[in-house]
Amino acid sequence: MTKHLIIIILLGVLLAVFVVAMQDVQILYNTALKSYLVEGVIPRGFEETGSRNLVTAILLDYRLFDSLFEAGILLIAVSGIIWISKHDIEEKNAQFMYDKFKTPDLFVTFSRLVYPLMLTFGFYVIINGHLSPGGGFQGGAIVASAILILYYIDHDKETNIKLIVTVEKFLYIAILLFAGISIFTRGTFFTNFIPTHYSYDVQTIYLVILNIMIGFKVALGLWAIFTAFLKEGR
Amino acid sequence: MDPILTFVVILIGFYGLSTSTNIIKSVFCVTIIESGVILLFLNLGNLDGGSIPIVGEGITMIADPLPQALMITTIVIGSTVTALALMLCIKVFHHYGTVEWAEILRREEGK
Repeated sequence: MTKHLIIIILLGVLLAVFVVAMQDVQILYNTALKSYLVEGVIPRGFEETGSRNLVTAILLDYRLFDSLFEAGILLIAVSGIIWISKHDIEEKNAQFMYDKFKTPDLFVTFSRLVYPLMLTFGFYVIINGHLSPGGGFQGGAIVASAILILYYIDHDKETNIKLIVTVEKFLYIAILLFAGISIFTRGTFFTNFIPTHYSYDVQTIYLVILNIMIGFKVALGLWAIFTAFLKEGR
Repeated sequence: MDPILTFVVILIGFYGLSTSTNIIKSVFCVTIIESGVILLFLNLGNLDGGSIPIVGEGITMIADPLPQALMITTIVIGSTVTALALMLCIKVFHHYGTVEWAEILRREEGK
């Protein structure tokens, strides 16, 4: 009991320090950042990248280096999970799902209805990542969750987890090469490779292709994680 | 007021992390801390009168896009870390037959 009391008192001290520190930060952030956003980010963000969604502009142009290694961390984590788990069980999906958990028929029927809608929505989010909220990472997660529903619909299918991870690795190398093309056309690594004198519509080609590649990579990675858990928890 | 509430969420995660006796509950607490950090960053980037960070005609004020871009990284890495930790939990359960911290420590000392 005393241990819990000491922990609560220490956390209260932390909260007090945070409250004192936050008093200035928010005022400073609200005044200084507002002028920076109005003068710098809003006018220049679209002109420099061709992306209306400024989060995508940061992810795929200004800070592409960060995003690439974020995708790399996902790949490394997937490889670790596959290495730890029992990946060499060869069994059909029906044995994983149907024996252990009694899936209701209503759920299966509605998954058949929802599955194409989810896939379409995922591809929409991926392809329109530069115009509307979304992008490669978010759309990839939606596509992956649509693929997970497929496990309930199609029981006879067999998932080859090694093939998924191999495809993901090659896709990651392709993303790195695609992002590195800009050294030949613009002279700097990891930015839009289409020269600046083209129009914005042409420059969005780069954003769409990179969003699609990252989206598929994320979808494959999450699919591999799910399959590894399925085979481990059997 | 809002950033302080998000910090309270982080502190709840800390409290759970320091008092939980189950490995899976510890993993949950790490996830709670991560959610608090995400809420804190999004709160700071949300300015008064700002809309979503998509520029177009008639948009004069937007939320700061940089914290949102950073939080995508946090979400992706957080989900993979959670998955890896849970997979290790499964391995620990197969090896020891339990996921209680005290029980595992007792068995390791008893060897």
